[in-house]
Amino acid sequence: MTDVQVIEESATNAVTANVVENEKEAPAKSSAENNKPPNYKRISDDDLYRHSSQYRMWSYTREQLEEKRVDTNSRAVASIEEDLLKFRQAHNLIEEEVKILEAKAIPLTMEEELSLVNFYAKKVQVIAQHLNLPTEVVATSISFFRRFYLENSVMHIDPKSIVHTTIFLACKSENYFISVDSFAQKAKSTRESIIKYEFKLLESLKFSLLNHHPYKPLHGFFLDIQNVLYGKVDLNYMGQIYDRCKKRITGALLTDVVYLYTPPQITLATLLIEDEALVTRYLEMKFPSKEKIQEQEPELEPETEKKEAQNDESKIEKDDDQGIENDKPSIDSAKLLAVIMECKELIEETAPLSTEDAKRIAAKNYYCQNPSSLIQKLKRKMNEDTSAAEKRQKI
Amino acid sequence: MSSSSQFKQLEKLGNGTYATVYKGLNKTTGVYVALKEVKLDSEEGTPSTAIREISLMKELKHENIVRLYDVIHTENKLTLVFEFMDNDLKKYMDSRTVGNTPRGLELNLVKYFQWQLLQGLAFCHENKILHRDLKPQNLLINKKGQLKLGDFGLARAFGIPVNTFSSEVVTLWYRAPDVLMGSRTYSTSIDIWSCGCILAEMITGKPLFPGTNDEEQLKLIFDVMGTPSESLWPTVTKLPKYNPNVQQRTPRDLRQVLQPHTKEPLDGNLMDFLHGLLQLNPDMRLSAKQALHHPWFAEYYQHTS
Repeated sequence: MTDVQVIEESATNAVTANVVENEKEAPAKSSAENNKPPNYKRISDDDLYRHSSQYRMWSYTREQLEEKRVDTNSRAVASIEEDLLKFRQAHNLIEEEVKILEAKAIPLTMEEELSLVNFYAKKVQVIAQHLNLPTEVVATSISFFRRFYLENSVMHIDPKSIVHTTIFLACKSENYFISVDSFAQKAKSTRESIIKYEFKLLESLKFSLLNHHPYKPLHGFFLDIQNVLYGKVDLNYMGQIYDRCKKRITGALLTDVVYLYTPPQITLATLLIEDEALVTRYLEMKFPSKEKIQEQEPELEPETEKKEAQNDESKIEKDDDQGIENDKPSIDSAKLLAVIMECKELIEETAPLSTEDAKRIAAKNYYCQNPSSLIQKLKRKMNEDTSAAEKRQKI
Repeated sequence: MSSSSQFKQLEKLGNGTYATVYKGLNKTTGVYVALKEVKLDSEEGTPSTAIREISLMKELKHENIVRLYDVIHTENKLTLVFEFMDNDLKKYMDSRTVGNTPRGLELNLVKYFQWQLLQGLAFCHENKILHRDLKPQNLLINKKGQLKLGDFGLARAFGIPVNTFSSEVVTLWYRAPDVLMGSRTYSTSIDIWSCGCILAEMITGKPLFPGTNDEEQLKLIFDVMGTPSESLWPTVTKLPKYNPNVQQRTPRDLRQVLQPHTKEPLDGNLMDFLHGLLQLNPDMRLSAKQALHHPWFAEYYQHTS
């Protein structure tokens, strides 16, 4: 991935470097016939995406993503365990108390953290939608929230205290104006609690705030499918597909596909869930597989028209994990389909956490941070037991 | 992430749309920077203008766009650390005024600046970002003759459809006629109009349309460019502030308007190019990329292949 970026950056530098050189030489030729500068590099949407902070900072391989979560979790676990140890050393605990601490004050595992984050991410969605915010603002709220917990542990900052902050920051960054007071009123929160972690959030997001969501690619594919399969698709049906995919995309934002695949890939995956035959037919028409012969060095090919066609294709070309291969002149629809299939499976296999499980994890999270509450609870229970026993004796 | 102690704050450089800008010195590297200080409002948290500028600048890494290096947070303020530039185009042009007579720039410098302006702008537009506030004060220059777009406080990202933008942007003098007439569906063409105004100003040293209010601004534009006709701009009559009773004007020859203010002859290519930017009808204006392909720039893009 980084290789591609380096190559591209130097390529753009080269274009501008030429400019300066040309300026010095200033060859005054008549120019009217030449209105396409030969050294002007056309930038495809894929190039643009690869330059985006979303790709540079928030796209990972599965291994990198796992590693990141393990790292965040283990740092939090270490500090929680240290605190627990200090707590035990500072208090003279009786055997039952030690037992209950060992049983219940346990740091969360990485999987538990992830489940809890996703549970609250869904809450972010529900609240943002309840506030009637535009789709893109809802989407940005979800992605801010989930990214925050790639950098921070739920054991250090309670998800509840970040929910409103992410929605409010998403409003600001998506240019959807709402004052903090009216937001607080609508969200039944307070100004202080909304603002409190705003900078922490900005910092955790590494100030990368511009999001590329799959809704725009959906619009593009929606138009292109009608164009490519002209006369073969029913427009009403396409309209229904569009609306259903929009919902599916919002659902997909709650899964890890956002870190592993590009927005157009995610869009195609949701389309695939809705109508596999349609997408397969579209991709086969769009990228006919017989053109395998063309896989030779690009330099050997005649320029001009071919270039145009290529650029056209690269608009919808989705960069897969091996970005370098994108420079190939044509797209292998079978390979593309395989990537989208993987993405689709990941969307489908992500199961939402039940409220009971969420409560259980949240309680565990609370006890590991507040061991004293466990002890107090135990003491209360023991007192109740003894007083109950006394009562029984009296009777 | 840097800390504020890393920078030594030097003299004040000016006021941006929502912040104060100082010159600063990075004590570890010895490199000058521009420190844009944003007061944190305890009411609303980080101002949304700052959020938007940060958001867009993080995406825009280009030779002709001023670089955002870092963001530093201290107790009650946020500091955006930008690439330092020696001057801005407004101050540079002012410095060339002799007595009360403004002087334009040499045409080869005008061309080099305009080329860089359009390179930066084309990159913004490719990234689906509108600047919306292009003016000489926001074009930063350095001793190497580089020009970079700065101050993205009013910029915004756009997608399709583009329809709910506020019409209260862009400094009046560089504001496009469609925006002045209340269009809310403007897009990249809004920045192109500003580029045309800036080009004329670089040539003559004085603003092309220095209006003081919306009506006067439109009048100044129509006096030179002629009143818009439905045949050349079919949708003009549907604009909210379209005034059918405005006195009809025929377009003046732009060359005759500009030539008295410069010693160098203005050739046909330049005038054709300027006309391409200053079209009343936004759909008729060149795009930034088309502008870069215009024959006026032939010496920059020809030669290598």
